[in-house]
Amino acid sequence: MQRSPVGTTVLATLIAAFILFPVYWMVVTSLLPTDIVLSRDPPLLPPLSAISLQAYADVFERKPLLTWLVNTLFVTLGSVAVALVISTLAGYSLSRFRTRGQQTAGFVLLLSKMLPPTLIVIPFFIMFTSFGLIDSLFGLMLANAAVGVPFASWLMKGFFDGIPYELEQAAMIDGCSELGAMRRIAVPLCRPGIAASAVYLGIVAWADFVFARTLVSQPANWVLTVGLQSFVGEHSVDWAMLMAAGSLSLIPVVILFLLLEPFLVSGMTHGAVAN
Amino acid sequence: MPAVTTMPALDPQESAARRRAWWPARRTVLAYGLLAPAFAAVVFLIAYPLYLALAVSFREGRTMNLARLDRLPVGWGNYARVFDDPALWSAFARSAVYVGGAIVPAFVIGLLLALLLNRVFPGRRWLRSVMMLPWAVPGVVVSIAFLWLFDGSYGVVNSLLRRVGVLDEGIAWFARQDTAMLAVVVPTVWKAFPFFALTALAAMQAIPLALYEAARIDGAGALAQHRYVTWPGIRGPMLLALILNALWALKELDIVYVTTGGGPAGATETLALRIYFEAFQYFRLGSASALGLMLMVLCAVLVLLALPRLRQRFF
Repeated sequence: MQRSPVGTTVLATLIAAFILFPVYWMVVTSLLPTDIVLSRDPPLLPPLSAISLQAYADVFERKPLLTWLVNTLFVTLGSVAVALVISTLAGYSLSRFRTRGQQTAGFVLLLSKMLPPTLIVIPFFIMFTSFGLIDSLFGLMLANAAVGVPFASWLMKGFFDGIPYELEQAAMIDGCSELGAMRRIAVPLCRPGIAASAVYLGIVAWADFVFARTLVSQPANWVLTVGLQSFVGEHSVDWAMLMAAGSLSLIPVVILFLLLEPFLVSGMTHGAVAN
Repeated sequence: MPAVTTMPALDPQESAARRRAWWPARRTVLAYGLLAPAFAAVVFLIAYPLYLALAVSFREGRTMNLARLDRLPVGWGNYARVFDDPALWSAFARSAVYVGGAIVPAFVIGLLLALLLNRVFPGRRWLRSVMMLPWAVPGVVVSIAFLWLFDGSYGVVNSLLRRVGVLDEGIAWFARQDTAMLAVVVPTVWKAFPFFALTALAAMQAIPLALYEAARIDGAGALAQHRYVTWPGIRGPMLLALILNALWALKELDIVYVTTGGGPAGATETLALRIYFEAFQYFRLGSASALGLMLMVLCAVLVLLALPRLRQRFF
């Protein structure tokens, strides 16, 4: 049963088109004027002459989309930076030294997989209220960083395991301290791993909704996901505007994912599990 | 103190020398020092919150004033109330339908896609990336995309179904009691299948080609090769992916919250959603925590089922 490679390409392209239809339809809707969008039988291929960016202009004008974008960027970049530093250090320690940390790390990772976000957000809400971190983007950033640390540390341990310790030993023989060997040899060699972890953490933080919906209430502190959800509660949803905002929020995700995807297949072969 | 030993790969003579001198102490400090920030993060932002949730779960009643939380009476009331509530069992049943309904199709789709992507064909790298994209799309964005696709008045799905003659009139998929569960399952499948596909693909690529060759020589056809070579090679990782994805779906809030909010009339109110409403709509933080901890126990049961395999991976 040998099928021709080109036949497989055609089949795979058709399937990919079917899979991506929801995203395609979101983008198409955002680019069409309302009278075409709100019809009982919309055309599957948009008439090219009708395409306009009006919905994008509208959503920036009538909704604080720019504020949401800036807030989301702040929370995402901040939580990625914090979680990345913490988990690079932890990953190095887990990979190079045998400590009690190693025995606990697997357990903590499992625990974090079992922890429902709807449960952990309750004590977060109580704690953040008493520390005055409620309704603050900084608090939101901390919450996102915290849930990312266990998995990112595990990921980083895997990457450091792939770098031979002999390289650092050689540097130490040449007079480098252990910390210096880590900083000068292991961490630079591990750059692809650090990038992959950052992308993973970024995708997760960008998507967060439970924390953002609960720990922040002031509209000035809303992030994209909360803003998008607020459209749905309205009496009549402005679909073109909503799809425009949704498409914009997808751009960084698509870019990051296309960077991460090749690693996902090879990374999983080496035993890391990302979910 | 002897918690730290050197790497097993090290020259034994060298590690003996290190253990003797002041090295071990320094290495211990370094080893734990590097772990300290992660340890602090886990203690303050996972362990302590869990303890707090447990403590709160024994506080009976409701309050919107958190300062008064510790003046509420202590007791098993929340657990008793939660177990007596018939709504819990229907939420449990809905969670089971939601998780099963989403994860089984996602498993099958993921497996079939992996079989396709494991072939060599032009454009494979890009098509693979594109097909796996749904994994990365934020739950809220998935929700709004499908809300629009399945919209009762202008949804393109209704339009297509009418055009091919399956439907006479459009259906408000998310708003009807009998279709709402299906409507929330579909976006969940869409977001869940790439994880299965990636897992299966990674496992397939680790199967030595020589095994297929040997099977061919022994007269195995394509189907027999899948049955006796591919499947044994991917069974383990796929089982693990099944557990992890089931855990994810069991805890999933975004999709159901944004699309139906548990409605209509509670038709899609899963356990995860119920916990959230108990806490942040009715302000019964105590019984919400009790429910949440029970959901966590349920997750732990799932994990225990897969423990032999997880042990291999994580310990």
